[in-house]
Amino acid sequence: MTNKELYQRAFSTLHASCDPVMEVEKMKRARKKRFHKPAAVAAALVLVLGLASVAYATDIGGIQRSIQLWMHGDQTDAILEVENGHYSLTYEDADGNVRHQSGGGVAVGMDGKARPATEEEILQELNSPEVVYQEDGTVWVYYFDQKVEITDKFDDRGVCYVQLKDGDGVLYMTIKDQSGYSASRHSYPNPRSFN
Amino acid sequence: MRLSVAEAFQRYGDRLFAAAFSICRNQMDADDAVQDALIQYHKLGLDYADETHIKAWLLRVAINRAKDLSASFWRKNVVSWEEYMDGLAFEAPEDSRLFQAVMELPPKYRVVIHLFYYEEYSIREIGEILGRREGTVKSQLNRGRKLLKNMLKEEWNDDE
Repeated sequence: MTNKELYQRAFSTLHASCDPVMEVEKMKRARKKRFHKPAAVAAALVLVLGLASVAYATDIGGIQRSIQLWMHGDQTDAILEVENGHYSLTYEDADGNVRHQSGGGVAVGMDGKARPATEEEILQELNSPEVVYQEDGTVWVYYFDQKVEITDKFDDRGVCYVQLKDGDGVLYMTIKDQSGYSASRHSYPNPRSFN
Repeated sequence: MRLSVAEAFQRYGDRLFAAAFSICRNQMDADDAVQDALIQYHKLGLDYADETHIKAWLLRVAINRAKDLSASFWRKNVVSWEEYMDGLAFEAPEDSRLFQAVMELPPKYRVVIHLFYYEEYSIREIGEILGRREGTVKSQLNRGRKLLKNMLKEEWNDDE
């Protein structure tokens, strides 16, 4: 028996016991957001964030910031804390209930090396549009103070394309029904490029 | 091309785990590395040339993640590789001796040995995956082999 054969037999006893498939399915159900960076940017940002949009932020000292948050087209005040790639957000919803959400993110290079997302990156990601599936069956895109109903806009393949405008120009958004969405400043992301 | 996460895990999950284990020597961290690699695979949604490319990319990510986890403060309270090894069903006694010898190698040799003997990558390919120069990989492979030979004696051949 060669060294390779011996080695392969010995290490074939190792088996993964995690379940990444279930974890990814959970992420899809939670409708976590993805944001495509321009191709010129070396690191792709991967963040696990909640459903919120941020208008701007001002320092209130330390790592805690007072921000204005866009929630489903309505603006509200919120407190944002960011530390080592993790954030927590406390705000009041439209019904006056205090809500708390938290999450974290890493920036991942093409070599797979991860580092904690910076506050700027988290804010940028919180600023990205979101797709909300309402209980009444309607589907909406929210982006700052804009809201667009796209319930009947999906094509035969279940894909919908939306243009959103802001102070920086046009944001091209591709949405796959119940299967995620992605946005780019340059062109509509290919539906096959994300899940 | 792309594989679904389920397909990628089915084809490469155990290989990613074994590579990650060769770095962190810990089941939980190796599982985390595999999971993180596949989650990144899903999230980044990259397009790959072929399955070889997918496998190499996943291995690189899992190995880098295992390195990160190995350096983490939070991994201190973990099950040792010796305890984990006790639960493994090796086919022959020499398999467990080889496993033990590899685990006792310095980390920089372990992963090179693993990619060479288990994944059958060339020195150039190992260099690309680990981000090391070919000369460095070759040197680490030779040193790793010598250490294995010293530990395993006649159970480790002189072949490559």
